[in-house]
Amino acid sequence: MKNSFKLGVSALSIMVAGAAGAAEMGAVDEPIKLALNEWTGQHVTTQVAGEMLKAAGYKVEYVTAGMMNQFQAIADGDIHATLEIWSSNVSDEYARKIEEGTVVEIGDLGLNAREGIAYPAHVAEICPGLPAWEALKNCAVQFATAETIPNGRLVDYPADWGTPGADRMLGLELPFKAVPAGSEGALIAELRASTEKKSPLLITFWQPHWAMSAYDVQFVDLPAGEDACFTDASWGPNPNAVNDCDFSPSRIFKAGWSGLADKWPAAAEILTNYTLAVEDQQPMMGAVDVDGEAVDAVVAGWMAENEAKWKPIVDAATQ
Amino acid sequence: MSLTKGAWAALITVLVGALCLFLEPHVDWLGKWPAGWTLPVNDWISQGLGAALGILKPVARFFAWLLAFPMDGLTWLLSQSPWPLTIASVTALGWRLGGWKMALLGAVGFGFVLISGYWLQSMRTLALVFVSVPLALLMGLAIGILAYEVPRVKSGVNVVLDVMQTVPTFAYLTPLLFLFGFGPVVGLVASAIYAAPPMARNTLLGLERVEHDIREAAIMSGGTRRQQLFLVEIPAAANQIMIGVNQSLMAALSMVIIAAVIGGFDDIGWEVLLTMRKAWFGQAFLAGLVIVVFAIVIDRMSATLATQRKAFDLRISGAIVGIGAILSFIVNPDSTSYAMMGGVAASVDTAVGTFTANNGAALDSFKNGAMFYGLLPLRIGLDQAVLPFTWGFMWQPQYSLWLFGVAIALGAVLAIKGRVAQGIVLIIAVGILETGIADLPWPFVLIGVGALGWMGGGWKLARLITILLGTILLAGLWERALLSLYLSGASVFACAVVGGLLGLWAALSKTAWAIIRPMCDVLQTIPLFVFLIPVLMFFQIGEFSAFLAICMYAVVPMIRYTRHGLISTPPDMVEAAVSSGATRWQMLREVRAPYAAPSILLGLNQTILYAFAMLVIAALIGTTGLGQSIYLALGQADIGMGISAGAAMAILAFIADRLVQGFAEDRRKALGL
Repeated sequence: MKNSFKLGVSALSIMVAGAAGAAEMGAVDEPIKLALNEWTGQHVTTQVAGEMLKAAGYKVEYVTAGMMNQFQAIADGDIHATLEIWSSNVSDEYARKIEEGTVVEIGDLGLNAREGIAYPAHVAEICPGLPAWEALKNCAVQFATAETIPNGRLVDYPADWGTPGADRMLGLELPFKAVPAGSEGALIAELRASTEKKSPLLITFWQPHWAMSAYDVQFVDLPAGEDACFTDASWGPNPNAVNDCDFSPSRIFKAGWSGLADKWPAAAEILTNYTLAVEDQQPMMGAVDVDGEAVDAVVAGWMAENEAKWKPIVDAATQ
Repeated sequence: MSLTKGAWAALITVLVGALCLFLEPHVDWLGKWPAGWTLPVNDWISQGLGAALGILKPVARFFAWLLAFPMDGLTWLLSQSPWPLTIASVTALGWRLGGWKMALLGAVGFGFVLISGYWLQSMRTLALVFVSVPLALLMGLAIGILAYEVPRVKSGVNVVLDVMQTVPTFAYLTPLLFLFGFGPVVGLVASAIYAAPPMARNTLLGLERVEHDIREAAIMSGGTRRQQLFLVEIPAAANQIMIGVNQSLMAALSMVIIAAVIGGFDDIGWEVLLTMRKAWFGQAFLAGLVIVVFAIVIDRMSATLATQRKAFDLRISGAIVGIGAILSFIVNPDSTSYAMMGGVAASVDTAVGTFTANNGAALDSFKNGAMFYGLLPLRIGLDQAVLPFTWGFMWQPQYSLWLFGVAIALGAVLAIKGRVAQGIVLIIAVGILETGIADLPWPFVLIGVGALGWMGGGWKLARLITILLGTILLAGLWERALLSLYLSGASVFACAVVGGLLGLWAALSKTAWAIIRPMCDVLQTIPLFVFLIPVLMFFQIGEFSAFLAICMYAVVPMIRYTRHGLISTPPDMVEAAVSSGATRWQMLREVRAPYAAPSILLGLNQTILYAFAMLVIAALIGTTGLGQSIYLALGQADIGMGISAGAAMAILAFIADRLVQGFAEDRRKALGL
């Protein structure tokens, strides 16, 4: 009862802050701690937000934290916000903390993500007819390996991210066996090895990701991922199964400590209203991971050039 | 005809196996343990532990708050002091401990850390190690003294120490996170838990070995029990205890990367994880080498504490620190400006890529060969692994009959020659190969392992082992446990053969040892994650890659112990053999090898434990056994699943350990040691 009341109040205060513009600054002397997870895109997202908070007059501290394990810390108020949570890859613990009311969601990041079944460009020569998904029916054997013979091999997400690739293969009745990758590093190593060896590879992947351009990764065209596809078996090319379509669009959102809006009202407003587009994030990621520049330098450069994209949000909250 | 113990055990096992094989088509529950027979152990653990953790939480948080002080202080000190001063201090310490050799080691080692470009991250790692180690040492010392003073609890303490060392850390990170809150304190506690057992074991061993005369002298001079212990016995055991300190330090360092998975501390482990995620092998390897360098410096310097040594002139140490302090004002204080390994790392990375590109086909056929003719039959049996795609023909049921027929005929020949046990074991081995480890009927495994226990340690061990295996069945983890068993079994077998041969070679040739030894050092201390990338690049996700990764790590103890056993034959035995005219080969086979057997078995025991430890990490390249469960549980913050899978893993390791130790004990008795 008490928790749901607290949740209601903080959600309300965020809504009020979001709508009403200028808010109290709150405890400006205490640093706001933002989580830095394991991937570069998230570092960019977080540091842009951090710079915005600094521009508003706050102190910001970046804390490295494992994506999966950060929610306990946010619930305890040891970390105050995490800014890039992928709906496709969020632990059960997040739902538990939201239910407890110790972690609150603070809006979408606006990053337009796409997930799908993908392949490095050279694979189109091995399996002519790609990117149309029907082509995969006939060239499965090209993708076969010792563990999957006679089926083709699909490298799926690590098991703890769910099994979307396997679901697709089942739904579309494609003769592929999904093999869980184990980790993101393993996915990248597969892409890299396939590109180096010019060997066949079918993989579950997503964008924005620096590897998309580094290894020229293309998505397979699947029937559009409408809601009906996941509930109604008769929908789509396979009349007997659900999941016979592309991934439903992933939502990428932000979450914070439940006390965020009370302690730093204006900061909560900035973080709630903050969005970042793929077109902005992807080049910054490339500058870091491909060209080897430092994240803070890249972010500082972007901030200077794109004031129009972030300044209004800071101004609205502070003036 | 009277049968030996081994023959009886084998006979029972083969009868149960034959019965299972015969009944399996008719009785469903023989092949697979029915889901309805499992207990909701995960939920029980989640609920029970959840409640217990809730009660402990305030105490743990207070403890975390206390620990944060030394942690923050040391981090501040190490990251704020100018790098020339730090390097000079390490060099000075090296001089004091072991003269110019140690001084040089310190200077070169920390110099490498500087040019690696990871100075700040490394200093944070060092702070973590230096706070967790005293904690581990105190814990270990207390446990060791307790076991010594109260003999009743000794066997209980031993089990606790086994558990601390065999339950994979990943399995208890989630509860620790809940208890202690986010941040480096979790990593600190986790590494202290892992690092305490060697200290406890060495303390106990040292105290037990204190000579009788010394103890009596203490009693006669009228000291209280506490005075006897702290003023006489512990100082007398100091050398053994120092070995414990050394081992604890190494264990704590090997945990650094595991702690980084949680984050909260921008240390070298986190750096390894970030580069791993991008599959940058060169850079990950460089960051990993920093940990190796720390391990070597700490190992060699603390090892000097365990030997009788003379103290080196303190004034020279002072002078070195002085020079460092002066340099601090002259040189550029920004440590990152000295990074010069980036180019090397990048070219190592490119080299791995080029190698993959050039040898893709060869690597693939190597992998396929190993999979088709080795790993797959072992896992799912010849009856399923032999397909037109793999072996070029289809396995027919009558092939199985022929295979068994040949095995039984060969077994009978052996039995007639008087080797009854060997004959039956041959039949069992063929049966396992035909069925596949992952498809073995559970009664067969239970009885077979129980029979092994009976041979190695009598009824008591057999009963214990069977009950423990039974709990895995009841917890519903049997299939995953068999997968883990298959993967680690295949790896241990390969390690035993390759490691044994390398150990033999290293024992025969000094040059060989000079090449192998540094490789062993690196393999043992570098974060294991690092090797996953080249393995993945060469052989892709899957069991073969996991198999190789496990082998790389687990082969080390086999090499070390085999060599050690072979070269430490007592000189009088060697002399006796030489004077009776033995050739070099005869000497090896008839004198050294039997004498080395207990040591080699101990190496095998360590190899098994290492292989299990590596299983969890192999889950990162997509294996599907217990390791994956533990990793999944960590991601989902599922305490019940993590603990039960971790416990199942510890049970398997424990059983393997007790079996091998039982056989080693037999050998030792036979040799009269």
